[in-house]
Amino acid sequence: MKKILYFLLLFLSFTSYSATQRIELMGMVCAFCAQGIEKNLQDIEGVSNVYINLDNYFVVIESKNTAGISNEKIRNIIIDAGYDVNKIEIISESVEDIRKKYEKK
Amino acid sequence: MTCIAAPMSYKGSNTTMVDISQEYSKIDTSYAITAKDSLGIRLYQAKGEGYKLNGDEFYYLRRLHRINAIESQANLWLFTSAGIVNVKKNNRNNNQAYVSPTVQADYETRRIYMMGSYQLFRVANDNFDTSKFKAGFSFYKTSYEETQPWFILELSHFNTINKKIEVIPTLRLINKALYFEAGVSTEGDPKLHLMYTF
Repeated sequence: MKKILYFLLLFLSFTSYSATQRIELMGMVCAFCAQGIEKNLQDIEGVSNVYINLDNYFVVIESKNTAGISNEKIRNIIIDAGYDVNKIEIISESVEDIRKKYEKK
Repeated sequence: MTCIAAPMSYKGSNTTMVDISQEYSKIDTSYAITAKDSLGIRLYQAKGEGYKLNGDEFYYLRRLHRINAIESQANLWLFTSAGIVNVKKNNRNNNQAYVSPTVQADYETRRIYMMGSYQLFRVANDNFDTSKFKAGFSFYKTSYEETQPWFILELSHFNTINKKIEVIPTLRLINKALYFEAGVSTEGDPKLHLMYTF
């Protein structure tokens, strides 16, 4: 039984967990606006990937924390960049999945 | 003289701008202390109608109001500049301290841009007020990683320095932190504007 637990712990320690959050924004109409949002989101501790989609007015962030980044923190960062948040949700796809999905079009 | 497209970026950012033309040139750098306020310094020179101006100024920029909608953004800005300008005209050559406010309003979507501004710039008995209007469209939408090209038509009037209203067809290119405009007025004066945020 102990061996199984050790193996389970070893397995869990090698498994990486992450959360992906999709943020719908208001006012993000050009790349010049969006680069401030991207930079500030990338600077959050634990954020590993950021994807900006100007056509559909959303940003996706991936963080190493399974619970994601708190909505309040995200809102404050977006407001400091000069924009407003319409909606924040946790999604199951990764940033790379989303990037591939929209860049194909 | 202060009106530009997107006068400040995000909190904690530095924005540097350069304008070059026969009539007016400047170099300007500012720091955004909040999402709504920035402080900057500017060196400029202007010439025309026998006048030559050389000025240094500090300015405070306040974003008075912003309306963020899903597909658009509208802003109202107030610049307050204070500085010293050297005015040369014939035998006259003197330095004058001044305070100069500028009001700017703009509206932008992914495909349309409009901006109007008015600067009240009075030095002794001279009126150097400046008014600008810009409107244009993007040729097509681009993704975040691509350079977006725009056509902008600018109407500009620099009181005392230029008796006419200048008409300047301009090509604008935006790539993330880099913002570039190049145009030639209908009188043949080439104009460049470069802005970089870091």
